[in-house]
Amino acid sequence: MLNHLETSENLPEYALGSLNDDLAVAVSEHVAGCAACRSELLLWQAVADQLALAAPPGDPPPALEQRLMRQIAPPIRAAAPKRSDWLAWLRRTSPLWAAAAMLLLAVLGVNNLNLRQQVLEHQQHTAPMAAIPMYGASAEDPASGVVVVSADGEYGTLVVQHLPELPDHQVYQLWLIENGQRTNGGTFKVDEHGYTALEIESPQDLVLYDAFGVTVEPAGGSPGPTGPKVLGSP
Amino acid sequence: MNYPSLSDETLLLLIARDQTEALSELYRRYNRLIYSLAVAVVSDPHSAEEVTLDVFTRVWQKADTYQPDRAGVRTWLSRITRNLALNVVRRRNVRLDARSLRWADVTPPPIPTEHQPESMAELAQAQARVRAAIRELPPEQQEALALAYFGGYSHQQIADELDYPLGTVKTRIRSAMKKLRHLLQDELDLPPET
Repeated sequence: MLNHLETSENLPEYALGSLNDDLAVAVSEHVAGCAACRSELLLWQAVADQLALAAPPGDPPPALEQRLMRQIAPPIRAAAPKRSDWLAWLRRTSPLWAAAAMLLLAVLGVNNLNLRQQVLEHQQHTAPMAAIPMYGASAEDPASGVVVVSADGEYGTLVVQHLPELPDHQVYQLWLIENGQRTNGGTFKVDEHGYTALEIESPQDLVLYDAFGVTVEPAGGSPGPTGPKVLGSP
Repeated sequence: MNYPSLSDETLLLLIARDQTEALSELYRRYNRLIYSLAVAVVSDPHSAEEVTLDVFTRVWQKADTYQPDRAGVRTWLSRITRNLALNVVRRRNVRLDARSLRWADVTPPPIPTEHQPESMAELAQAQARVRAAIRELPPEQQEALALAYFGGYSHQQIADELDYPLGTVKTRIRSAMKKLRHLLQDELDLPPET
């Protein structure tokens, strides 16, 4: 473990994110227990934050704002034709419609029975699965995940992305939360892209849990959460 | 509502209430800053567009998670951008050419115009001051700092890339950060209790 002076000397680079992994872990362990270093770190982070202002200037394409607004907005339904336009058109074509309507009724009467049966069968076979999003500790955190639960709640899979790889002595652990109680849902590592999928272990149906969380734990997992939380469901 | 006259924090409150006009205003204020930072990290314009879109989409989705006592809105946006952009680079698993990572040239502080929103004028002046401060650093310190900040390089990676001893790289980055802290002490966006 680093002493105070050693940690203080490394804070500028820690704020930049340029320390080698083992040294960064050592600094973070000291900072977690040292108020003076935490305060000093805030100053160095403020310096690092200023560097964003010195990026060479560039302009995004003008259409990007429109893409953003389309992406966040709900789809707009096509405007319905005016009532007066419809009525005028119907009056002009009414004789033809009478004949077509008779033919259509005859055909639909036969097909309707078949279609109804197909819909009922489709509903039975494709009951929707639940997808519960999981977010990183803050908006700046790119890590995210989703818990996908089968319709009957018996099976579930956690999929994560952008989580940092952990050293050999640590794992990520999923917690299934019910009334404040945490139950182990399984441990996992991520690949070099920060991605993995975990088949969830659960003593009961997953739909019975209130929430889900992921923490960093020692290799092999823990009986209860001991490390920092990296993902949580709303 | 006169959105250009609202503070960044107020815009975020409105965005959290699903006001798209507030997001538009925030976009107009910071789209160049975010895009510029994204390009500096990911290098290609197309990826930078996607990062920019991702940043503002996240703002729309997570405006209610913003904590004003931790950092200003501009700083918050910059941190999100850098993190997302570095993730793009890491997923490629290919190191960018170190020579492509560079700082902006020094430009004279802009003269505020009558019709320019105050926030935009302040941003432009802050950018000019930071760029000037970085240009006061020796070239070798600027180079190491650019690799660390825009490239997400560790000390060892910088040492390998530039073929310098590890200790030399550490000294250069540390010295650069100390000098910038001194030059920019009036600019720093610090939490209230600091």
